[in-house]
Amino acid sequence: MTYAFYPGCVSKGGCPELYPAAVKVAERLNIQLAEMKDVGCSGAGVLSQEVSDPINARTLAKVEQMGMTMMTICSTCQGVFTQANHRLKSDPDYRERINRENLAQEGLRYEGTVEIKHFLWILDEEFGLDKLKELVVRPLSGLKVAPFYGCYLRRPPELMVPKGFERRKSVLEMTIEALGGEVANIKGKGKCCGFPILASSEENSLAMCSDHTMEAKEKGADCMVTPCPLCHLELDGLQSSAEKHMNEEIDMPILHLPQLVGLALGFTPKEMNMHRHMVSTEEVVKKLEGVRA
Amino acid sequence: MPQHDIIVIGGGFAGMRAALAAKEAGADVALVSKVHPLRSHSSGAHSGINAALSPEDSWQAHAEDTVYAGDYLGNQDAVQVLCQEGIGDVIKLEHMGVIFSRNGQGKIDLMPFAGSIRPRTCYVGDSAGHIILQVLYEQMLKLEVPVYDEWFVTSLIVEDGVCRGAIAQELSSGRLLSLDAKAVVLATGGLGRMYEPSTSAYTSTADGQALAYRAGIPLVDMEMVQYHPTTLMGKGVVVTEAARGEGAYLVNKDGDRFMESYAPETLEMAARDVCSRAIETEVAQGRGVNGGVLLDFRHLDTDRLEDRLPETTYVVNKLSGIDIKKEPVPVRPAMHRPIGGVQVDVQGATPLPGLYAAGECACVGVHGANRLGGNSLLECVVFGRRAGEAAAAYAGSIPLRKASESMMLDQERLAQDLTARNSGGDTIGSLRRELAATMHQKVGVSRDGAGLREAADKVGDLMERYGRVGIPSVGGPYNPSLSTLLELGYMLDVAQAIVASAQVREESRGAHHRTDFPQRDDDNWLKHTVASRTPDGPALAYRPVVITHRQPQRRTY
Amino acid sequence: MEVTFKVHRYDPATNGKGQLQSYMLGIDEDASILDALMRIREDQDTTLAFRGSCRTGFCGDCTMRIGGKNRIACSTTVGKSVKDGEVTVEPIRIINVLKDMVFDAEAMVYQKYRAVEPWIEPSTPLPQEEHLVSNEVIQDLRKVMSCTMCWLCDEGCTTMVVDRKFVGPAALTKAYRVVADPRDSKTEERLHSLSEEKGMWDCCHCYEATEHCPKGIDPTERIFALRNQAIKVGAGSTKVRNHYRSFGASVKAHGWLDEARLAIDTEGLTNIRGQLKQLPLALKALRRGKLPKPYFLHKKRPGAANIKRIFKLWEKK
Repeated sequence: MTYAFYPGCVSKGGCPELYPAAVKVAERLNIQLAEMKDVGCSGAGVLSQEVSDPINARTLAKVEQMGMTMMTICSTCQGVFTQANHRLKSDPDYRERINRENLAQEGLRYEGTVEIKHFLWILDEEFGLDKLKELVVRPLSGLKVAPFYGCYLRRPPELMVPKGFERRKSVLEMTIEALGGEVANIKGKGKCCGFPILASSEENSLAMCSDHTMEAKEKGADCMVTPCPLCHLELDGLQSSAEKHMNEEIDMPILHLPQLVGLALGFTPKEMNMHRHMVSTEEVVKKLEGVRA
Repeated sequence: MPQHDIIVIGGGFAGMRAALAAKEAGADVALVSKVHPLRSHSSGAHSGINAALSPEDSWQAHAEDTVYAGDYLGNQDAVQVLCQEGIGDVIKLEHMGVIFSRNGQGKIDLMPFAGSIRPRTCYVGDSAGHIILQVLYEQMLKLEVPVYDEWFVTSLIVEDGVCRGAIAQELSSGRLLSLDAKAVVLATGGLGRMYEPSTSAYTSTADGQALAYRAGIPLVDMEMVQYHPTTLMGKGVVVTEAARGEGAYLVNKDGDRFMESYAPETLEMAARDVCSRAIETEVAQGRGVNGGVLLDFRHLDTDRLEDRLPETTYVVNKLSGIDIKKEPVPVRPAMHRPIGGVQVDVQGATPLPGLYAAGECACVGVHGANRLGGNSLLECVVFGRRAGEAAAAYAGSIPLRKASESMMLDQERLAQDLTARNSGGDTIGSLRRELAATMHQKVGVSRDGAGLREAADKVGDLMERYGRVGIPSVGGPYNPSLSTLLELGYMLDVAQAIVASAQVREESRGAHHRTDFPQRDDDNWLKHTVASRTPDGPALAYRPVVITHRQPQRRTY
Repeated sequence: MEVTFKVHRYDPATNGKGQLQSYMLGIDEDASILDALMRIREDQDTTLAFRGSCRTGFCGDCTMRIGGKNRIACSTTVGKSVKDGEVTVEPIRIINVLKDMVFDAEAMVYQKYRAVEPWIEPSTPLPQEEHLVSNEVIQDLRKVMSCTMCWLCDEGCTTMVVDRKFVGPAALTKAYRVVADPRDSKTEERLHSLSEEKGMWDCCHCYEATEHCPKGIDPTERIFALRNQAIKVGAGSTKVRNHYRSFGASVKAHGWLDEARLAIDTEGLTNIRGQLKQLPLALKALRRGKLPKPYFLHKKRPGAANIKRIFKLWEKK
């Protein structure tokens, strides 16, 4: 299977450990990625729909030309694109206007036929978690992992978890288990990490970071895993700030989804860039090195 | 102890409109309500509000339809005020921010309603009540009218023949407190909890009617109890008349549009009492479906349904799981609103100086024997405003006299006595359910002398048993014991007045249908019944109907 | 059916925690939870405190936690809630409980409602007749005003959990009602005051509010709409405005986000204190290779010119 790969901005910017990990893992799984280079930022919910919808329509038009399903590695990109796609698909007049005003000049047109899936969904719905399990060479036995989806991957539910796709509500846990790990179920797994309000309300943002990471710690998790690099920036990047603000010790390593998959597939921690996090992943690595590869 | 020029009791349309009017007239007014105003039952009004806004319409035509629908029992001077001033009052609502649905020119769109010759019902999708209630509350915030919400009024303070305020339980603390005022406006709404089935909220327990009645003020035309013909079976929620206005059919078990036999010209758009009787007859004669009939929307345009009846679609689906586009809805008549109420003049003044009343709890006489759809919201707004203005004028002319302590002490002692009673096997709930069943069966859509006598006996029996029911405690934060018990007492007192009024009116007119006196009898009964409280029960007297322009004609549909 | 209702009882006078008290009731499975509570109050325990009025889902008073889920009690049937013959009824979380199921609505619901000044201020003089408004605008407003202040959106709000002073999606939806009403003349002022602390910018747009709203009002989108308008009139704190300006500027210039620039711009180039505060974090990130190259060092995406074109067209409008 080949996918039109949309890496987003953060996977090459603030979380550059993510992009190469994702690419290596896809290659190992024989998932072909046709990376899209000439595309714009999704807007991440910051840019107004008035400007992000045309930019995203342009991306979708190019994907449509490729005749493939689009793959994302970021919950926020997935959420924003799904919403934009929904608007473009369900309102032909709106789509026509954007085609006419924004895309025609480049010779592009979006007809509304593209499907967009996050790597996590592809693993379950198209690749198959059973198949993934068979390819595991270093099962994550004894590793307790707390799932953290990133709210844009789950809401609004009619769009992100439509009828027939209910598995998406627990697919991250199922993936952890397929990789041999143990799930530390936290109530906050589907909640917002706090990243969007960092600029306007830093205190609240850090309180949210603390809530989720401390909950994982209380549930005995060795680490958290997230399919969203923005959540990673918050939970990993800002964890020390949260510790200072809330006056507590957290020390909870945060892994990107492809890193977790990659480790189970036998990649070394160095290959998965585990040394590039703000919160050290040493303990996780130690635990895994105890497991025979 | 709170002290204001004016206390308005009740936070629905009439109450808030009165408070706003009084505030704008410069009075120090406060609103007291047993629930937060946003939770008032006015929110449940789906229909719309009438106004002769169209150039093809006139307040005179509106008045004509109103008097006719009321079967000529309406006071025509009050009807004129309603229809003439109503136009300005509805525009004022729009200026306040009500989001009336619009036509293509951006003007308020008008919908036809049962009983109105010309379209004159201003609507807001199908949730006029909810929207207007919100907008009135927004204005209350804007004008900074203080609200004592979750205060339950236990009695009016009457001294030296004048109303001086009210005594209420502050539910957050459980304390009984007296609210001193120069004038009181009662706007407490309906009494549907004494009927089952009814469309009323839990809060519709005849509070204002009972408070006034106990203070010696008569209740007018209490026998006129309006049933809504189409309420969702088992749930008691109204399926709005607008549904029939949009073209929904009423069908019986055989799939026939039976209204042809009862109202061949107007069919489903006949007045509510006509429809209610028709449905009950169909059921009684074996053509009903599970005790009701079916309201069929399936032949209607789905886009229009979504535009015009979104709340109805939502509520029916939420409460019964039925999609009105796919299945017919089982409906039956349920008690809806009282038409009679506390006696007031066109200013909203009761015979007791200092006491005013407006809205559903009052009877200014606009509806006569049957309410025209869309007029009840209008009545609340027009006469709520007038009552507020009148109360403000009155309050401006007299000094505040603090009420004496004696009433307050009496109340406290009475309340404590309630905790010493031995209920003897009855609960508040069991008594209320017996009352509600009796009222529906014997004082419902159709009545007769024998049934009414049984009802009178039953209510008397229930009152005696009520006198023995006690409660475990009175005070403390959010203790609903006292209010729950007193609400039953209010309902029993007022039920007695309803039964007595129904017994005495030996004719059929509008909502009052007597199978033993099936004809309208203008020679003997073109008059209002007036029930006053005595130690031996209600005493009935009569008042003439105010007739100015329209002489009574036969009512046909 | 015979059902045991386990109902939360709490009396502030006893100083203790809330407890579940059991009541047995024979009741139709079609009856609502609110009906059941009323029956318990009228027949078994008149001291049971809860709110509920209209019985049919439009007054918003009876929001409770039934079987651990936030629900409108009058629109929830006994049949759908019962599990092994039992139904648990508790008050909603986040708000202080005053007694049994009655919570401090004044502090959380009504105070916030008042704070957004939800009445329209039309310009004077008022027209003789009605204002002329298109039905399309009316329909949108009607959707928004179908809100019954049931508080389910605020109850599910992520920010509210960490900060009870956040004005919340319910109040912001009410604010939208006046901002979007063409008859109101105070739009700009409103947007500025709603952009203050604890206002619209504290919303993390996680769509919980939208998920929980029983009327499909989509509060999150309403808040987005307020934010878009606020940006246009220059409302919002300096940091927020910097943040939005910077995000747009880097996507416009390079086609994708320049996060380092975003971090610097948000604090403000001349805000030495702010820059110094984030310096330790920046250095740590630099050591781990996580610091992107900012401003002119940021690589342009191919086709960035096209993204710029789209921006320019939008700015013109």
